[in-house]
Amino acid sequence: MNVRGAPPDAEVVALVLAGDTEAFGIVIRRYEAGLLRFATRMLGSRDAAADAVAESFVRAYRHLASCREPARLRTWLYRIVTNRCKSHLVRRSVADVPLDDAPPVADPADTEADLERADQLLLVERALADLSPDKREAFVLKHVEGLSYEEMAVVTGERIPTLKMRVHRAREALLKVLEDHA
Amino acid sequence: MNVIDQRIHQALDGELAAEAVPAELRHAVARLAAAAALLAAPPPGPAASLESRVMAEIRRPAPSRARRVMRWLVTPHSIILRVRPAWSVAFAAVVATLTLFTAGDQGPELGEHEGIAQFVGRFPEAQSVHVVGTFNDWRPGSIALEDQDHDGVWRATVVLPAGTYEYMFVVDGERWVPDHLEERLVADDFGRENSIVIVRPARR
Repeated sequence: MNVRGAPPDAEVVALVLAGDTEAFGIVIRRYEAGLLRFATRMLGSRDAAADAVAESFVRAYRHLASCREPARLRTWLYRIVTNRCKSHLVRRSVADVPLDDAPPVADPADTEADLERADQLLLVERALADLSPDKREAFVLKHVEGLSYEEMAVVTGERIPTLKMRVHRAREALLKVLEDHA
Repeated sequence: MNVIDQRIHQALDGELAAEAVPAELRHAVARLAAAAALLAAPPPGPAASLESRVMAEIRRPAPSRARRVMRWLVTPHSIILRVRPAWSVAFAAVVATLTLFTAGDQGPELGEHEGIAQFVGRFPEAQSVHVVGTFNDWRPGSIALEDQDHDGVWRATVVLPAGTYEYMFVVDGERWVPDHLEERLVADDFGRENSIVIVRPARR
């Protein structure tokens, strides 16, 4: 990734490996929003997601020299966060996964459209939480994070046909919930 | 499983142009795309950056190898075993076999002047059977017999000091009966007959 005027990932990695610890802040600022969103969708909790992503960044920094393709830093980071999320899910049963830390509270200034959107989001989040972690991961990587199947294969270590099948099953489950509540 | 039309998947995977999707399927495609967009939207409220937290952590000197090993040793870890059912059955059989052999080898610890008394009685209708005798001052409830295979035959194995004891069975907590399998009987002071068991020391 190369935001205009910002150094490319490979350059940032080289700076950090050369001893410029502060340059790692660029990596954090560049990817934390996407990684947090992904982890939140995986874990169903913003606090748990923040822990998982923070742990992942520290882990990434400590093992940065093992990143074989610095130009593909993004997929490498997603892989680390994916593994951290799996560890978090193993430590607690899926039944305990909260949908979110606190349900959204209606603001008097909210319009009817805002409230409808919040209801719809809650419905989709619940349907997502009901999916198995594998299917949830595949759907979020594909449709929320916008990764290609090739990138997803690098992130998850799974074969592309397996990932496609998981995405298809996730879509089918979500569509059924959406249509049941239409 | 609610299988949906493959063209919906193709459209969402970018393998089928939007205009090539039949009209009756466009609604499903739009629904799923809208759901994904909802999930992708940033959550309301200020986003707290992790940068300061992470940078503070990575600026700290890394713990020594010995410290990391010690931390790993004292931290609880989850262990997941993925075992084929066939192997788990075989494993259970091996454990059961080993347990049986081990139990058979060990037996109860016996003192120099102790022996083993085995009490066996046939009481097909009984709910509970206890043995009472001179070895437990005729106190019901202290030594229970078991009928593990539910064939009506109740058994108990007890370690007792070597000696000769009178005993009876107490069936269902109220019926006192002598051991019909035991030929040695002796009349007690209440006009009943008690069975006799002779316990010999296991070590000579």
